[in-house]
Amino acid sequence: MTETRTTMEALRMDGAQPVAAGQDLAHRRSNAAAAEIEVKALTHRYAGAEGPILALQDVSLSVPSGHFVGLVGPSGCGKSSLLMMLAGLVTPSEGSISIMGRPVLGPAPERVGVVFQEASLLPWRTALDNVAFPLKLRGVPRAEREARATELLALVGLAGFERRYPHELSGGMKQRVAIARGFCQDPPVLLMDEPFAALDEQTRMTLGDELLRIWDRQRKTVVFVTHSLTEAVYLCDEVVVLSARPGRVLERIAIDLPRPRTWEVMASAAFGELRERIWRLIRTTP
Amino acid sequence: MRRSTVPLLQLGIVLTSLLAWEGASLTALLDPRLLPPPSVVLPTIWHLLSDEVFLRHLAVTSWEVAVAIVIATPLGAAIGLALAESPYLGRAFRPFFHFLAAVPKSIFLPVFILLFGIGFEQKVAFGVFQALFVIVIATGAAVAGVPADLLRLARAYGATKWQTWAEIQWHAMLPLLLEGLRLGMIFNITGVIFAEMYVARLGLGQRLATWGQSFQMPELFAGILIAAGLSIAVNEALRALERRMARWRPT
Repeated sequence: MTETRTTMEALRMDGAQPVAAGQDLAHRRSNAAAAEIEVKALTHRYAGAEGPILALQDVSLSVPSGHFVGLVGPSGCGKSSLLMMLAGLVTPSEGSISIMGRPVLGPAPERVGVVFQEASLLPWRTALDNVAFPLKLRGVPRAEREARATELLALVGLAGFERRYPHELSGGMKQRVAIARGFCQDPPVLLMDEPFAALDEQTRMTLGDELLRIWDRQRKTVVFVTHSLTEAVYLCDEVVVLSARPGRVLERIAIDLPRPRTWEVMASAAFGELRERIWRLIRTTP
Repeated sequence: MRRSTVPLLQLGIVLTSLLAWEGASLTALLDPRLLPPPSVVLPTIWHLLSDEVFLRHLAVTSWEVAVAIVIATPLGAAIGLALAESPYLGRAFRPFFHFLAAVPKSIFLPVFILLFGIGFEQKVAFGVFQALFVIVIATGAAVAGVPADLLRLARAYGATKWQTWAEIQWHAMLPLLLEGLRLGMIFNITGVIFAEMYVARLGLGQRLATWGQSFQMPELFAGILIAAGLSIAVNEALRALERRMARWRPT
């Protein structure tokens, strides 16, 4: 484990980024308690059939390091768009985003891992190669990246499935592979865009538990988009509620339920109240 | 149907057809002068395949087909990629390719004779012309079929343009490209043999046309079976390659 850790630190330092790697690490240490993700006055428009559509309006948000933050809101409120902007895949019309003190101007895989709603596995690669894909892109030698991927597949409960192709895996297994891939480069920030939306209720619950278990061992700053309020309350430290389009931050609700959480917490009165509060916010805003 | 008995049944179909053909010929149900029996045709195949003159004709055709596909594949793929990469060019040119694909290309044969003569170059040019369209269209379909979510994934993980090509596009496109190559090869063989039958000094098509005109029915049927057998062999080889290159696809 120690060895892997060193390797991963080395990996991060390999990242050819404008800021020198050593400086980057020093910066991280000094900023450990400060905000890891900082969104300032973000507004986004996109071209629609009848002129520009205002998708997000004046969204500001800061996520402390190691926090698990949920984004919820009515369909079309721009929560997924916001996540794509955090991932550097979409450029916002106005405002700024910075992650670990550096502006997001494009994808930054050494800082940010992304897990999409569709598992988005390469069908021509085995589960192992899919997990190792981000490392392959960065030229990590085969033996090293396979060792790392094997470890991660075991972590998501897929030991023994290394040589399977995606079409041989169930929907839940595919999403596990995608999560393992998100963790593969050990990025400090993990962005998840409704990763369990396409799964059935039971699989979704199991994977939620698995995710919390992994997150307990490898604390990352997580931004988790979901349309399931139960999921949001169960997983998150804080839930950011967005309004219908144009998406604005309605309220940020701290989820002060004790951790580690197990399914029993869902039956508690506190859980029900939090869920109810979010639901009322979403329902009553036009 | 149990899988294991299918090949046996298929063998039965072939043998029954040959027997029926033999019987029809022997009982003069079909005029044996027009349709010689397999007992005459099959030995003629062997006779032709050991005849140096015929083999030279066959070699000429094979060479024409090979050169044509070697030209048509990269050319068709390049045109297909160019049309797919530039939405502007694509929108402008694609309809013409689809229209031309619908036109029977044999009507252009006299033009090819005027342009390229009646020799090797004309056969190759006509083979390229036949094969090109399907390869262009297949390449366009292959580019359009690259899953957008995988391209986004590559971008999110910082893939360079070249890495995206090698890791995503190439693999996603390969099955359709091979399909295009296989169909192109069928069109190519058709074109070359047809051009030879129309006018040529050498080649399998020239032989078939000559045998037909001079009423050499055993040779004609033997030649037809050889041409059919070779085309099937090429097609099956490319299908096997397709399967091999895309083992990851659910069957």
